[in-house]
Amino acid sequence: MGPVELLHMSVFSQSFSPCGRFLAAGNNYGEIAVFSLSAALSPEASEGSQKPILNFTAHDGPVFTLLSTDTHLLSAGNGEISAWSWAELIKKTTKAAWTRKPSYETSLEIPEINAMIINPKDNSLIVGGGDNNIHIMDMETGIFKSVLKGHTDYIHCLCFKEREGEILSGGEDGAVRIWDSRTNRPVHCIEVFKYEECARPQFGKWISCLATDSDWMLCGGGPSLSLWHLRSMSPTSVFPLPGCQREAVFHQDLIMSVGEGPYVSHCLHGGTVKAQIPCTPSSLNTLALNLKNTEHRVMTVGGSSHQIDVFTNFSYRAFSLSF
Amino acid sequence: MSIKFFRIVQCAFWRMGSITDDEVIRKRLLIDGDGAGDDRRINVLMKSFTKWCQSNFSPEEGFSQYQRMLTSLAQCEFSMGKTLLVYDMNLKEMENYETIYADIEKSITSAHEKIAECKKEIQRAKRIRKNRQEYDALARVIKQHPDRHETLKQLEALDKELQQLSHIKENVEDKLELRKKQFHVLLTTIQELQQTLDNDEKMESDDTQESSMENGD
Repeated sequence: MGPVELLHMSVFSQSFSPCGRFLAAGNNYGEIAVFSLSAALSPEASEGSQKPILNFTAHDGPVFTLLSTDTHLLSAGNGEISAWSWAELIKKTTKAAWTRKPSYETSLEIPEINAMIINPKDNSLIVGGGDNNIHIMDMETGIFKSVLKGHTDYIHCLCFKEREGEILSGGEDGAVRIWDSRTNRPVHCIEVFKYEECARPQFGKWISCLATDSDWMLCGGGPSLSLWHLRSMSPTSVFPLPGCQREAVFHQDLIMSVGEGPYVSHCLHGGTVKAQIPCTPSSLNTLALNLKNTEHRVMTVGGSSHQIDVFTNFSYRAFSLSF
Repeated sequence: MSIKFFRIVQCAFWRMGSITDDEVIRKRLLIDGDGAGDDRRINVLMKSFTKWCQSNFSPEEGFSQYQRMLTSLAQCEFSMGKTLLVYDMNLKEMENYETIYADIEKSITSAHEKIAECKKEIQRAKRIRKNRQEYDALARVIKQHPDRHETLKQLEALDKELQQLSHIKENVEDKLELRKKQFHVLLTTIQELQQTLDNDEKMESDDTQESSMENGD
């Protein structure tokens, strides 16, 4: 990997292993790198422990989304979903467990897959991508059970509400659609750009990040990042962040979001931006929190750089892993 | 004593390179034949005692030798007392350190417990803060909508107005109906009167025509 390629690398997705000791990251060259967190966080960490223990090419195109189940790592990029067993990856074998493709209507071009989530209730995989539809696949049998149609442009992000069993999807058409996972019918449609307090017409109407916490929902992208109360379908706070946000999560009493701009923003539910922590990439695409493992409780962010910043205390950058 | 021995061996090594064990032992015995310090004093005392017992001294010499032995005995006793006291002191210090050690252990465990409790407190406080923030956000949205009582009052006032206006409308309609009927009656009577008058006129003109025809005949 030459220096020019390193310069142009972007990290699009991250996922922690089920044991919480490894981090997998996918970049725009289609490679997935597995880093050992226990080595990087141990007291005897050195330069070498910040390099991946395994780096392989998983897809032809960029790896837009990574997801970890209890045993497998799922990766998706240009229309294909591949599954890799974590046990095998730790042993450095790079053979995919399976590769599947949702059934697309047109077989001319294969649309990319931008987001994947798991519905733990009926063990199904929900993917959304470039063909404007959401496909639901049963994890055990591998059959694509259903298709949710409704968006008029490609889907950026997906989110799942456990309590009510609802799927939220946000797309380029600016609409956040809520679907019921059991009946596969649309329940609500919120067009965020139509609300004056959130809309930012200079950026567009696309929604690129969604997060949900029981009754509350965060959404942002072209419109400002805003906190919505889902029962009343009204925006309660709008966050004054200058760039477009690409990923946001709820964590305890804070909201953390990353996007354009070399920083992680910590915000409070009331609408104030509490802190902006600087990081190495000039703009960030993905943020991941490792909450499964108490020893390696870190936050990692990646973006337009070959380096992934690791925050051991969520308030400042500790070190960086690099591809 | 062992330190001195080591130093001697060191010096010897430095000066003469390799050296045999015999040389070392001999050197040591020469310099350090009686041992160092207290040991030496006891050995010297023993030696001088045996010499004093065995040899023939003049009474003054014997007495002075006896005095010397007494002094060295006193010195030995003194140093023994000192060592005993130091030993006691060391024991007491050890006990002291043990208690301090136990105390520190206890305070470490209690500090650990306090830390765990504080962490729980922090989690609780964070939850409370989040709930407060959510409440504030919702309250802000709700405040934007008008007060329920006021809206109800407005609705009531509007209802009353509506009722009043419908009453008025009914009244006006009734009046209109009445007037219509009255005018209708008036017009029909006028028309009937007109007809009767016409009929009368016709009858009159018929009568005169008949009479003029009769006259003409």
